Amino acid sequence: MNRRVSRGIAEGVTVVIAAVVAFPLYWMVLTALKPDAEVISTDPRPWTLAPTLDSFVRALTVQSFGRYLLNSIVVAVAVVLLSLLISFLAATALTRFRFRSRTTLLIMLLVVQMVPVEALTIPLFFLMQSVRDVAPVFGLNHLGSLVLVHLAFSLPFAIWMLRGFVAAVPVELEEAATLDGASRSRFLWSVLFPLVAPGLVATSVLSFIHAWNDFLFAKTFIISAAENQTLPLALQVFVKPDQNDWGAIMAGSTLMTIPVLVFFILVQRRLVAGLAGAVKS
Amino acid sequence: MTAVREAVARAEPKPPARTGQVKAAARWVRRAPLLPALIFTIVVTQLPFVATLVISLMRWNSLDPTNRGFAGVDNYTAVFTDPDLRSAIGTTVLLTVTVVFVSLVLGLVLALLLDRKFAGRGLVRTMLIAPFLVVPVAAALLWKHALYNPEYGLLNGVLTWLFGADAPQPEWISGMPLIAVEASLVWQWTPFMMLILLAGLQSRPQDAVEAARIDGATAWQVFRYLTLPHLRQYLELGALLGSIYIVQNFDAVFTITSGGLGTANLPYTIYQTFYQAHDYGQASAAGVVVVVGSIVIATFALRVVSSLLREEVRG
Repeated sequence: MNRRVSRGIAEGVTVVIAAVVAFPLYWMVLTALKPDAEVISTDPRPWTLAPTLDSFVRALTVQSFGRYLLNSIVVAVAVVLLSLLISFLAATALTRFRFRSRTTLLIMLLVVQMVPVEALTIPLFFLMQSVRDVAPVFGLNHLGSLVLVHLAFSLPFAIWMLRGFVAAVPVELEEAATLDGASRSRFLWSVLFPLVAPGLVATSVLSFIHAWNDFLFAKTFIISAAENQTLPLALQVFVKPDQNDWGAIMAGSTLMTIPVLVFFILVQRRLVAGLAGAVKS
Repeated sequence: MTAVREAVARAEPKPPARTGQVKAAARWVRRAPLLPALIFTIVVTQLPFVATLVISLMRWNSLDPTNRGFAGVDNYTAVFTDPDLRSAIGTTVLLTVTVVFVSLVLGLVLALLLDRKFAGRGLVRTMLIAPFLVVPVAAALLWKHALYNPEYGLLNGVLTWLFGADAPQPEWISGMPLIAVEASLVWQWTPFMMLILLAGLQSRPQDAVEAARIDGATAWQVFRYLTLPHLRQYLELGALLGSIYIVQNFDAVFTITSGGLGTANLPYTIYQTFYQAHDYGQASAAGVVVVVGSIVIATFALRVVSSLLREEVRG
């Protein structure tokens, strides 16, 4: 009986905390839906009687938000596809093949992740400047430069996480495939790839979020080409010293959050398993 | 979970019994799938670091292009004597430690609360994770304007609602700038810690817990002697990943306070030194200082990794 009461209290507390934690998000969506006059009212109310999509319209039409949205999508999708391919190969090699210095390579991958970004922004800036002379698409002021850096920074974690998924595929399967005459590459793409698909999905979501959220590199690499900016920078457009368009800012924030939220809900179960795998495997 | 782990253990390939020499070519074929990842990450993340080291030893300010040359450790002396940079180091440490610690503790509490079945758990979990999914810049803008704004912000609105018209209306950002930045970061990072710890809790062997309960252990004893030791690795992983990301935080500081009011951390200061003062040498030196500072974290990381690998060997 006592136990049931304490459980009830714990559940009640959890629900209350969840409500408090999620409330700022509700507030964000609400602000985006409120008419202008209510947004900056000194008597904020947690509801609105006259919801309107005006703020969303402003966010999408003014300042070519659509263009930035497209840029963000291009960068994120390119990063996801490339990191999928490269990290799948790397994770397979790391779990399936034995070779000298395997553990060293594994640890190296993690150490790569350790160097703080700010120590790299400056030389990366110069690197991208030089790249621009050779291949303009991957250089400064172009989306390619963002793809390159995000790919590099999302690979280590992607490999580390995929390892657990690849390792979970029974090795007997590979033996069976080999007996049936499948070549190694055939096994890799026709058997292993579909089997670790859940892991690939979870990993791509993380790569996607990584590229999608970035502000520092977008701010430092895309300096003079407004048409190549990404969404996080576009949000700052609505922030002005004296008169900010809160409604549009919150509408833009809401629009930016939706893809991440949708992806996450789709894969959340696998993500938890993936994290457990990354630690335990 | 146990079944999964057994499967993982089974899947670990046995070292093939090899006799004699293996051709070098064959060994490279095995490594080949890994090489694109390795070479690419090294080119984009390691070579630039070497470049940073070199630049940090140079006198190089693009506003004064003729006066470029070897400067020795002058930039480092500048980093440690310049009051702005010194305070940036302190701010970075304080910010990182506070945010990581608070979000770990809160994340642990939430993970423990969520680690039981109850009606609506899925919804509650999604609500708790949601802050982590908000784009950092958007989250910072949300906190700055919708929550902290002294006139129409949510926080002061709640105060008025609770205590009436003469309720205190603090200026959150100018009154407590660092805490304001920290609170928004804790809000974003607690879900991340919770996710990692939840994964840890779900891999906890249930039979030991049951046995302890039957032997009359209290909930606290189960937590202290079974759950916590089991979670140690996960706590370390959370602290490690959290520190790496929060040391690098730029978005929140840039958006909420623009580095003013004593909240400028190293990433922000480096950004300023580079893009506004155009002092490449000094900015690089500050970057190297960050790396050296992070070696403490990296050492910690290697310990975690090696303990993981030991686990793996044991299967």
